[in-house]
Amino acid sequence: MAEELNEEFTEGLLLRPLPDRRVLAHFHFQSSVPPTRTYGRHHHLFPKSIYQLINKFRVREMELSFTQGRWNYEHWGGYDPISSSNAKPPGVELWADFDVSLDQVDASWKNLTHALSGLFCASINFLEHSTSYSAPQWSFRSFAGKLRYGTLPREAVCTENLTPWLKLLPCRDKAGLSALMDRPSIYRGYYHSQRLHLTSDEFDTAKSNSGIMLEQTLTVVLQPNTLGDRAMVSGKTLQPSWSLSSLFGRKVHGKCSVSKSSNVYVQFEPNLVSELKEVWESVESESGILIHDAFWNNPIFEISASPDRVVKEVGNLQKEVSSILYEFLVEDYNDSKPFDLGLRWKLPVVWSCKQAPLHASRFLMGSGNERGAIAISLRSSSNNNTQRVGCSEKGSQLRIDIFQVVPWYVKVYYHTLKVFIDGELQSTMENIEKMHLSPSEDKVSPGVMEMKLRLPCSVKTAVLTLEFDKGFLHIDEYPPDANQGFDIPSAVVSFTGFQASIGFEDNFLNKLPILNELQERKHVISYTEVLLVPLTTPDFSMPYNVITITCTVFALYFGSLLNALRRRVGEEERLLKSKAAKKRGPLSSMLSKLSAKLKGSPLEPSPTPSTSPSFINYKLIVKVILVAGMAAGGQYYFR
Amino acid sequence: MDVLFKSAAVLISIFLLLFCNAIPSVAYSSSSTMHTNNWAVLVCTSRFWFNYRHMANTLSLYRTVKRLGIPDERIILMLADDMACNARNKYPAQVFNNENHRLNLYGDNVEVDYRGYEVTVENFMRVLTGRHETAVPRSKRLLSDEGSHILLYMTGHGGDEFLKFQDSEELQSHDLADAVKQMKEKRRFKELLIMVDTCQAATLFSQLQSPGVLAIGSSMKGENSYSHHLDSDVGVSVVDRFTFYTLAYFERLNMYDNASLSSLFNSYNPNLLMSTAYYRTDLYGRQLEEVPVTNFFGSVMETIHTDSPYRAFSGKYSKIEIPLDQSDEVKQRRLKSSDVPQELTGSNITDKHVTCPVTRTWNAILGRIGMMKELDSLVNYGLILMFLIATGSSWFSS
Repeated sequence: MAEELNEEFTEGLLLRPLPDRRVLAHFHFQSSVPPTRTYGRHHHLFPKSIYQLINKFRVREMELSFTQGRWNYEHWGGYDPISSSNAKPPGVELWADFDVSLDQVDASWKNLTHALSGLFCASINFLEHSTSYSAPQWSFRSFAGKLRYGTLPREAVCTENLTPWLKLLPCRDKAGLSALMDRPSIYRGYYHSQRLHLTSDEFDTAKSNSGIMLEQTLTVVLQPNTLGDRAMVSGKTLQPSWSLSSLFGRKVHGKCSVSKSSNVYVQFEPNLVSELKEVWESVESESGILIHDAFWNNPIFEISASPDRVVKEVGNLQKEVSSILYEFLVEDYNDSKPFDLGLRWKLPVVWSCKQAPLHASRFLMGSGNERGAIAISLRSSSNNNTQRVGCSEKGSQLRIDIFQVVPWYVKVYYHTLKVFIDGELQSTMENIEKMHLSPSEDKVSPGVMEMKLRLPCSVKTAVLTLEFDKGFLHIDEYPPDANQGFDIPSAVVSFTGFQASIGFEDNFLNKLPILNELQERKHVISYTEVLLVPLTTPDFSMPYNVITITCTVFALYFGSLLNALRRRVGEEERLLKSKAAKKRGPLSSMLSKLSAKLKGSPLEPSPTPSTSPSFINYKLIVKVILVAGMAAGGQYYFR
Repeated sequence: MDVLFKSAAVLISIFLLLFCNAIPSVAYSSSSTMHTNNWAVLVCTSRFWFNYRHMANTLSLYRTVKRLGIPDERIILMLADDMACNARNKYPAQVFNNENHRLNLYGDNVEVDYRGYEVTVENFMRVLTGRHETAVPRSKRLLSDEGSHILLYMTGHGGDEFLKFQDSEELQSHDLADAVKQMKEKRRFKELLIMVDTCQAATLFSQLQSPGVLAIGSSMKGENSYSHHLDSDVGVSVVDRFTFYTLAYFERLNMYDNASLSSLFNSYNPNLLMSTAYYRTDLYGRQLEEVPVTNFFGSVMETIHTDSPYRAFSGKYSKIEIPLDQSDEVKQRRLKSSDVPQELTGSNITDKHVTCPVTRTWNAILGRIGMMKELDSLVNYGLILMFLIATGSSWFSS
């Protein structure tokens, strides 16, 4: 108990060759802190921002993942702990379980999304709207009522998300295994998923709290640089050789000094191990060298460093072969002697990964912009060995949980659910053990489907179809690239009754978190594809065009109508005439009248051009009057 | 009697204080505040891969202001699309602004505050005016104050009096002017430099009317802003001309340089830009020759010296400091730039909390009165005066 009262940080890296000439690298970092009640609030290793997050929003458990690329279940495996917990849907996935009263969960969720968006430089705050998250009842994780789940399938993942994630580590990316994370190398990969998983029992009043645990993993699938040496041996291509420096462009210069353990593992899957044994037997049959399990120096491959330990999987009774882990301790290396693990193949090997019981995929059916259907297909994997694990007795059944969230503008009609098994339509309720539906509400909440399926063990294919209508969004609600289509988040298919875990012989190993992660018993989970639904998009310039054209037509119509109605031709002519008459002015007309009287000739209106002489007259008269006035004034004054 | 007078005086001073607070724009004078911090808002408004250059423009500016000393928490970076990890990018997690690929703008430590669909006119206005929802984290807010110098850089596609955001909405010159006016009234900046690299950028400034605003645009009305060159490896143009030559200017500078804004403005050659750079300086009170570019592109920080650790802050010790005070250059800069010493002397004597000049003079008068010896006689005279006025006014009214 006394030793647990300290903060701990461990780091680990697991490397695994994949059958399709690629390499899986899985970084695992774990920080833990004892509960505040006994340990206080000052931390040496644990990131403060995460601690504040937990305390402010009372998070009991949370998982946030940023993923780009799609996990290839067929080639990279679907039945091992890494694929079950680290194969994530593209974009951002966030779920959190809160320790607050039921009516405050939504508010906490909203604030949490904003805080995370600030922390990780991502638009996680789009998950605050009730249309984008859901509250699964039982299928996703078994937390009643206080769990919220949301995904952003189109969120970009890049350096700006990885850097704050690395800043949570005590050594950042400056020392230890995280120093390998060269951004261009990681983002050049076929798949990368960074995950942050938090568990805390800070708010449990119960006796033995374990405090807060922060688990950070980065899973990358990389293509070793094989330009030039695509070597062929006896007609088959060799698997590419790789080393840490060729994968990441960097080497490990010692461990992060505050981490408790810093190990690198190379894992060979059971299928690969059995393949290796076969190849070795065929090669060495004549020389008669004893084949031992812990081989690491052999004619098939070569590891550049000698492993500090070889760990074997145990506890898998069904199988005769089990996976092998080579352990390397980074603490023995330093700047002058950097750690650069390499794997070189000498003979070609071909193997395949262990598959999930059924391969899940999802696709769209139908055409046109009005309606369509979603189909979830479960296809039996090519090798049927795996199924026998769960179907040991005759007549037992496969249990499958499906959890699917569909945005409101894809209006799914759940009554149209059809189940086809091996191509034949089944009566629906026969195979469905339990179902929970919450239909979508326009602009309020998404449609959620949770379903527990029961399928016979001998099933080859099972297909579920659901029909839907495509809704209309308000013109303001379309994103700027609406023509690209809209994403329906991945469905989660979990095979309850199948557990992916690797047990190890040594109990001592339980102390190492990265191996703990492999040992943890979890359901086999796979995510389906993200669906891209094209919706009817309006012509976004249409309102503008309509307004302009309508206004023009109206203006022309009303303008000409008013003109026609109001115009009086006779009146206008009269008005023009009177204007012409008026132009001469009252004084000049009076003057002309006066002059006419003086001359004795009859009054006649002078023509318009002759106004100028009369104008001169007028000025003259004013001058005369002015002079006369002045004279009169002078006379009066001098008198 | 004495008490009565004093209470009246207090009442009047309170009234004056209220008056001051009610109309801040009247009482507020920018010269009285110190330049205490620097902020930068860098906006790339274009979506889609072929607009790579706009993101490269913005990231180049981001790198420049970071290099010249503005810390990441004081930079609001808005990028409308993801270019670095775009599937079309041959160089994942890297963005280049030159075909020689010598400089990776994306680096290891880029902090993008608004990205993708978040870059909207609404969010842009919210950042400028500071009207956020309560849940929005600090890293997404522009937390500037009345001593802030803000650099606002925008790039994208624009036209006559508007700038397009994400190809779906527009920021109009009126919107920008209103936001800036609101910022001024909320005392969110002391000086603001708006730099815009779009077609017809000058038209975006036509409605601005707030004092302390300086604007540079890449082109006049009716002119286009062109890209500088195409990178055949990336497949698109990687930088715009205006930004390219701005960067070329800044690459020669370091944090302690004294180059003035006018030298920046004069560095633009219309033949190289293929457009005419436009400056609007009529709202900006100072001579551009005297203002170093680091006023906007660099950073000052206020450091508060305390005698002992963990004491309450005391305003007396506040002093302006340039980060990493390395003796020679700093002194030189202080001497040359006219504003800094003036601010230094002007600030620490008078009470910092009362900025309203009316209250300040009134307080001074009150202080004088307090010093006087013959208070009683003054009170008596005052009473007689009051009596006279009262009788006079009643006589007039009757």
